[in-house]
Amino acid sequence: MKRTLAITLILALLLALVSMPLSADGHERWDGADDLAVNPLACGMGDEMMDEGDDMEEEMEMMEYDGGMAAMGDMDMAGMDIVVVDVPKLIGIGYFAATTLGQQQAAEELGNVSVSTDGPTDANIDDQIQVIDSYITQGVDGILFAANDPVAIAPVLRKTLESGIHVVGYDANSEPDAREWFVNQAEFNGIGKALIDSLVSQKGADASFGIVTSTFTTPNQARWVAEMWAYADKCFSDLDWLETLEAQEDAGLSFQQAQTLINKYGEDLDGIIALTSVATPASADAVNQAGVCEDVAVTGLGLPNAMRPYISSGCVQEVYLWNPVDLGYAAVYVLRAVVDGEFKPGDSSVMAGRLGELMVVNGSEVLLGPPFAFTAENVDDFDF
Amino acid sequence: MQETQNPRNPTASEKLQRLLISQEGVLFLIMLVSVLFLATRTDKFLTIDNLLQQGRFMTEIGLIAIPMTYIIITGGIDLSVGSILGLTAIVLGWTWQELGFPLELAIITGIVSGTVAGFINGLFIVRVGVPPLIMTLATLALYRGLAEGISEARSARGYPEWFFQLGQGEFLGIPSQLWLLIVAVVIFGIILARTRLGRALYAIGNNETGARFSGLTVNRHLLFIYAFSGFMSAVAGYIFVSRVSTTRSDMGTGIELDVIAAVVLGGTSIFGGTGSIPGTMIGVVLIQLLKNGLVLAGVTSDATIVVIGSVLIFAILVNNFIQRRSGES
Repeated sequence: MKRTLAITLILALLLALVSMPLSADGHERWDGADDLAVNPLACGMGDEMMDEGDDMEEEMEMMEYDGGMAAMGDMDMAGMDIVVVDVPKLIGIGYFAATTLGQQQAAEELGNVSVSTDGPTDANIDDQIQVIDSYITQGVDGILFAANDPVAIAPVLRKTLESGIHVVGYDANSEPDAREWFVNQAEFNGIGKALIDSLVSQKGADASFGIVTSTFTTPNQARWVAEMWAYADKCFSDLDWLETLEAQEDAGLSFQQAQTLINKYGEDLDGIIALTSVATPASADAVNQAGVCEDVAVTGLGLPNAMRPYISSGCVQEVYLWNPVDLGYAAVYVLRAVVDGEFKPGDSSVMAGRLGELMVVNGSEVLLGPPFAFTAENVDDFDF
Repeated sequence: MQETQNPRNPTASEKLQRLLISQEGVLFLIMLVSVLFLATRTDKFLTIDNLLQQGRFMTEIGLIAIPMTYIIITGGIDLSVGSILGLTAIVLGWTWQELGFPLELAIITGIVSGTVAGFINGLFIVRVGVPPLIMTLATLALYRGLAEGISEARSARGYPEWFFQLGQGEFLGIPSQLWLLIVAVVIFGIILARTRLGRALYAIGNNETGARFSGLTVNRHLLFIYAFSGFMSAVAGYIFVSRVSTTRSDMGTGIELDVIAAVVLGGTSIFGGTGSIPGTMIGVVLIQLLKNGLVLAGVTSDATIVVIGSVLIFAILVNNFIQRRSGES
């Protein structure tokens, strides 16, 4: 028994030794960025709305519709009651509870849409595929999705379109031809710029910072990192990028990873940028508990309810996001407009209830708007 | 009583009775009841198309459940199967896209590395004496780390059309990969139930020291089944990549728990010594049909996992109860 234990311990040590150089070696590459093309916005702060506006118009003229088409059903569903199911990346977290809320609000306003939300209980590509497949079998009129993987989800979405079911994505895209429209909450370069600007405005253009992300393979997060990298490179090349750490979408793990950054870099750490709605409050909590609110600026993407204590106490100055309630709301309006035949390939905008007219970008995406900063002044106005 | 003084050949009705109170029999009845119940809740469930589609989805778990049954019968466990699946997928995608291997060779390389990964598990368990739980827990992390390291968190995409044949195509109206599962179940079911190798596994599980002293090459058997587990996880990895048409380093995360749940539900004792492939397959099918049928019947996914957990406990309780009663009589 003792011998076994001793051997096990030695083995564990060996494993640790073997895996050490692996992680240290790749340090430079472990920024968590993907390898797609980047498009950093112009430098400077405060005028990002303008920049985004310009960008949007350019792209509008550039791209043709590249989404898919649902097979024609026997009857025209325009104006008729439709049943829609929403399949987010996972259920049971605040963010997707907020998109669900927005969908319910839209359904109530419209009166002829019934939406229900169902999805995997953790962000697993295969579970999500199986849930969608089951709803094709069950037979609904429309599916809303937020993809766990843009390619893996594509075959089942194409099958959905072939079955005559309308498909609209939001939050996380699939391959364009596997769905009709995608409601884009914010363009990646807009977020990248907003977060870097936020860090620089708090800690200066030579700040050292770490990132807490979900996983290196999550499409949104990898894109943001790539855009942050590109924007920082272009505008603030003195920024010191310490490390990017993975924390799934797990509160406990995010807290630990933020603590790791604080302990590992100590005085050198000026800021933490957190890229999930779970990681941002967890990082703020870690900074708060370590008593380094003054030294380490936490910024990132966060939901107002979770961030309120830290923003109110002054530990965190601002966090960014779009409004996920509006995101879910817009997705239902887009789907309804598609079913009614009011929103067709080639259109340059769509009306989305209280949000007014939303622009089409990148061929087949509907842009929700520029990223939104939650600060001490406005955080109490929101409840999600 | 009457039963004890009856050494004659069993009659047909006795055979039936024995079958009904066997682990597999009880489980099969539970499955039948569940299927009938679900079929009354929605007419979309009990259709050929839907059932075949579910067959497609459960193939990876089914394939890995075969060696897992072998391993658990010997009193071991393999927690690293999901990570081996992920590692195989990454090696396949990486050698093809980054190293420029022909896709056929990349598939073989992937499956070989998965098998080697399983073999390494076996080697440490047999030669160094690391308990299987500890060893495979370590490689669960190690192989997943390797997959992430090799892939640098990038996914490989854009496979040619023929590559999807296995994961998305069909043969004679039945999903291609389901054929593979059926053939594997028949072959490895017979090997376990009817050959020396199978009996040796039960012997090892019942009493490893005893098996050693009776001249069984225990180490060689154990090495083989852990390598076999790596091989089957690798094949499942290939099928998975072919089905979802992309390669990610987080593929197969958590699949080890689904597999072990199916095997244990199928009547294999976690302490070793008992179990069968038909039982395991009923376990796999039951879990998959419950998952699908409950969604079709309008139960949401979070409630579904609660139901599946309850069915697991219920099945094991019923089984224990019946086994104890038949043991007493």
